[in-house]
Amino acid sequence: MDADTILADITQMLAQVIGEDYLLEVDVTMDTAFSGDLELESIEFVALAGLMKEHYGAAVDFVGFLADMDLHEIIALRVGQVVDHIWLCLEAVGSRG
Amino acid sequence: MADVVANGVRFHVQQLTPPPGFAPDSPDSGEARPSVVFIHGLVMDNLSSFYYTLANPLAAAGADVLLYDLRGHGLSERPPLGYALEDSVEDLVGLLFELGIDGPVHIVGNSYGGTVGLAFAMAYPSRVASLVLVEGHFAVQGWGEEMARTLWGIAFGMELEEARTWVASAGRKMTRMAGKADALINGTSLVEDLLTAVPLPRQPLASLACPVLAMYGDESDVIDRARDLASLVPDFTLNILQGCGHSILMEVPAHLRAVLAWWFAGRVGPAPLYQPPVLDPPSASAAHPLAELVAG
Repeated sequence: MDADTILADITQMLAQVIGEDYLLEVDVTMDTAFSGDLELESIEFVALAGLMKEHYGAAVDFVGFLADMDLHEIIALRVGQVVDHIWLCLEAVGSRG
Repeated sequence: MADVVANGVRFHVQQLTPPPGFAPDSPDSGEARPSVVFIHGLVMDNLSSFYYTLANPLAAAGADVLLYDLRGHGLSERPPLGYALEDSVEDLVGLLFELGIDGPVHIVGNSYGGTVGLAFAMAYPSRVASLVLVEGHFAVQGWGEEMARTLWGIAFGMELEEARTWVASAGRKMTRMAGKADALINGTSLVEDLLTAVPLPRQPLASLACPVLAMYGDESDVIDRARDLASLVPDFTLNILQGCGHSILMEVPAHLRAVLAWWFAGRVGPAPLYQPPVLDPPSASAAHPLAELVAG
């Protein structure tokens, strides 16, 4: 799975969480900040992380990813950081399997 | 699973498990992982405050974590009724049942979430392995009126023209948060239920079997509750944070994580003490970095 596919997946999940109408006004890129650009409420980011966990399963470790960040780092997260993390986890599984 | 119906209400829940590599949960072999439930505070709070600060690190350290939005909060359903403390306790009972969690759990409660944890531990002592209060409210005489007054203050503040203008200009996030708080305060029985709240009985606290850890800021408006509890609860560890107020979860999460790690590792040695940051005195040649914030 490449980064573009993961970005498209996340964009689709974002639409589920905050609604397609709002998302139509924003071009989601790797540089888009969840809080600063998308104005995601903190509880909406949690819901998004829950959807990603369901979608990618145990192969992607979101707990470890977020546990290593402090509050300000999570608030400042950009879409590209999450895409990169998912890609690295999936690559690791692929190379093992 | 993100939505669970319990006690007749749809709750938004998040369950976090340790990353791959941790031993699977196996209660039969005596290696059961600790099961930790986080309960957030009232109105402007939801499960994300714990999710962003303590929950993921605790899961990463090997705990099974359950977070949920209280009824009317976050992404949970907002029914018009059922906001008494007893309802909150029965909501938790229902959630644990629906999720098949029947062993003792460790409860971590922030502010009102601590009150729920205390009431749950008193009503169902065998279900609680330990209780962690983060600035927990202790339902003493007048507690409900005090909480209701605070909520009225928020509601009144939001009615002011300046506040409405500011919220409208602050964008999607603030508009939604203000709207939810308004709907909860003015569209449900929350305030009414708080006004009719009865104090927690003091005598059962003296026979509370589970260990209790309490973390409070020494400048908090509920620090007296901590001292009150310390005089009543047998196994009570009080961790006071100098120079901090009520919002220690957001202000100093790193210290709270350190104390939780000590708590879950078996309380070996003294509990970590909070060291307030030492700020350099301002010099004539360079303004202190905080000066701009203070002035602003």
